[in-house]
Amino acid sequence: MTDIDVVTDEHAPEVPVLADAPVKKVKVKRRGRITKWLAIGWLAFITISAIGANSLPYIPHSCEPGDSMCSTAVKGSLLLGQLPPKWAFFSEAPKPVNGAPERMGLMGTDKNGFDIFSRSMLGARNSLIIAGLAITFGLAIGTFLGMIAGYFRGKVDTVIENISNVMLAFPALLLAIFLVTFFNDPNTTGAANSRPLWPIILALVVLSIPPLTRLVRANTIAYAQRDFVVAARSLGAKGSRILFREILPNIVPTLLSFALTGLAILIVAEGGLAFLGLSVEAPVPTWGAMIAAGSEPLRNGAWWISLMPAFVMFLTVLSINLLGDVLAQRFNSREAIG
Amino acid sequence: MRYVLRKLAQTIFVVVVVTFLTSIALRFLPGGTDVIVALKTGPGATPEQAQAVIKELGLDKPWYTQYFSWMTDFVTGNWGNTFQTNQSIATEVKRALPVSLYLMIYGQFVALSLAVPTAVWSAYKQNSRFDRAASTSAFAMLSMPNFIVAPVLILLFSVNTKFIPYPSIYTSIFDDPVAHFKAFVLPSLTIAIPLYAGYMRVLRADVIGTLQNDFITTARAKGVGTGPLLFKHALRPSLFSIVTSAAVNIGALMGGVVIVEQFFLLNGMGRLTVESIFRREYPTVQYAVVILALIYIFANFFVDLAYAWIDPRVRAARALG
Repeated sequence: MTDIDVVTDEHAPEVPVLADAPVKKVKVKRRGRITKWLAIGWLAFITISAIGANSLPYIPHSCEPGDSMCSTAVKGSLLLGQLPPKWAFFSEAPKPVNGAPERMGLMGTDKNGFDIFSRSMLGARNSLIIAGLAITFGLAIGTFLGMIAGYFRGKVDTVIENISNVMLAFPALLLAIFLVTFFNDPNTTGAANSRPLWPIILALVVLSIPPLTRLVRANTIAYAQRDFVVAARSLGAKGSRILFREILPNIVPTLLSFALTGLAILIVAEGGLAFLGLSVEAPVPTWGAMIAAGSEPLRNGAWWISLMPAFVMFLTVLSINLLGDVLAQRFNSREAIG
Repeated sequence: MRYVLRKLAQTIFVVVVVTFLTSIALRFLPGGTDVIVALKTGPGATPEQAQAVIKELGLDKPWYTQYFSWMTDFVTGNWGNTFQTNQSIATEVKRALPVSLYLMIYGQFVALSLAVPTAVWSAYKQNSRFDRAASTSAFAMLSMPNFIVAPVLILLFSVNTKFIPYPSIYTSIFDDPVAHFKAFVLPSLTIAIPLYAGYMRVLRADVIGTLQNDFITTARAKGVGTGPLLFKHALRPSLFSIVTSAAVNIGALMGGVVIVEQFFLLNGMGRLTVESIFRREYPTVQYAVVILALIYIFANFFVDLAYAWIDPRVRAARALG
């Protein structure tokens, strides 16, 4: 008897669901559209702020060497240290200093009295530049290798697949750590004072190549058997022509969604490296380094130093993921039609 | 059987390449030998001292001899001492390894045990309120790397409520189980959250696909109850992708372990690696990285075998291809 009950239970709600199905569909769609625009808006905001980070109207985000304003504490470097954000009425500064305001800025200040909001935006610049450059190079190389492997198959394919298997066999972050430390070593780079940017980018590019190669290879294989490619080949087109004029334009939309997902992953990876102190040098802020710097004060209740940059990073990664998802869905459905 | 042998051969090939790269490649990079010598002698060594070190470490020998002797040392456990503190590297690794293993296992376990029921129920009640809440939150969690989750959890459970001590101090499970689990609760949860999100999404999609099959309708018609239907009939054919992503995630897991150990100040492999990097103890870094890479490779090997168990068709298909 109970089984029959379950079955009727299952089928009973189907009628009302059908009845208001169109309404629901519209609702879901609209919500998706709103989140999409929110994501685009946030990314635009972050990008503009990152570009204009130096002229943001806030307390200094870092001290230039020899900046008298900072060192004399006129701006109140230490006086303004570790103040919670203005809206955080429930939080009190761990050590209220005489004459200092109790709360400061949109996101509070860190222990040097630097405004966390302007630092987060400066961090956005570094994180986005590093991850963006890395995904560009990674995508270029990955697309090239993947297309060659997917179109020519045979020996080339085997070689490329084995190389990427070996690269994938290293845990990703460890490989990045290994590369970055080795190239950052003052003994190898010569200059001990400035840490170059390219080892981080190189490490991230190396991380991104094998998965991108695989994805592009799979896509290329799918297109290489389509009629228009076969037609081009039977007309006597060369391999390079088929690859770049016939196949590449068709996989570009898919590449775009890979690029977005990859960008999100690389921002996180850069954050991880920065968290471990392996990204850009200390006074230049990046999100990961800011979170790491806040983990010590966090224990005493100064939560905003870690959580505010973490929140900015979370929103950015979430927005990129959302857009990547939207793109992937759109192009998947188009592929299904075509 | 042929499938197993094929996989084994591939695994051995990868192991050789990985150990070769970590052990020897460093020396062939421009200036690599100089770095190693400078580490051993300290700054301002005379050329004679440098030459002696090169002889001692065998850096002047051809690469295959170097690799062979490195492998012999590695297999026999003759790993030498750290440059600066002169402690046995093997002891350091032996102390650090269980911490990381516990962390990885707990992390995976928490993630999977949360993801499987949520995903199955979400798929069964597709587009219900529960499903939408679970899917949306999983999508959000996908964008939460460990170093974002960790401060939130610490704030909630260690600073505001003092429920769990921070930093986490490792105690063996046999000495004091309560302290052991207290130390690992937050770190494993931190690791589990992004993993959970991935698993939940993958498994949900697969179960939705499985539930549309005819054999589910047949089982339903036979009078199989909802619980057995979902977990006995629908789950096993849907496991393929989640097992794949669980294996792929072991690599991500190790990255997570490095960061989480650093955040919670747990003395595991990740922390050992990072600290050794900052102290420029390259041999320790090499051994730590090789050990982690080996764990990863063999875990993947066993997952490949597990495929065959989950879906017998794989045995045939993969043995041919």
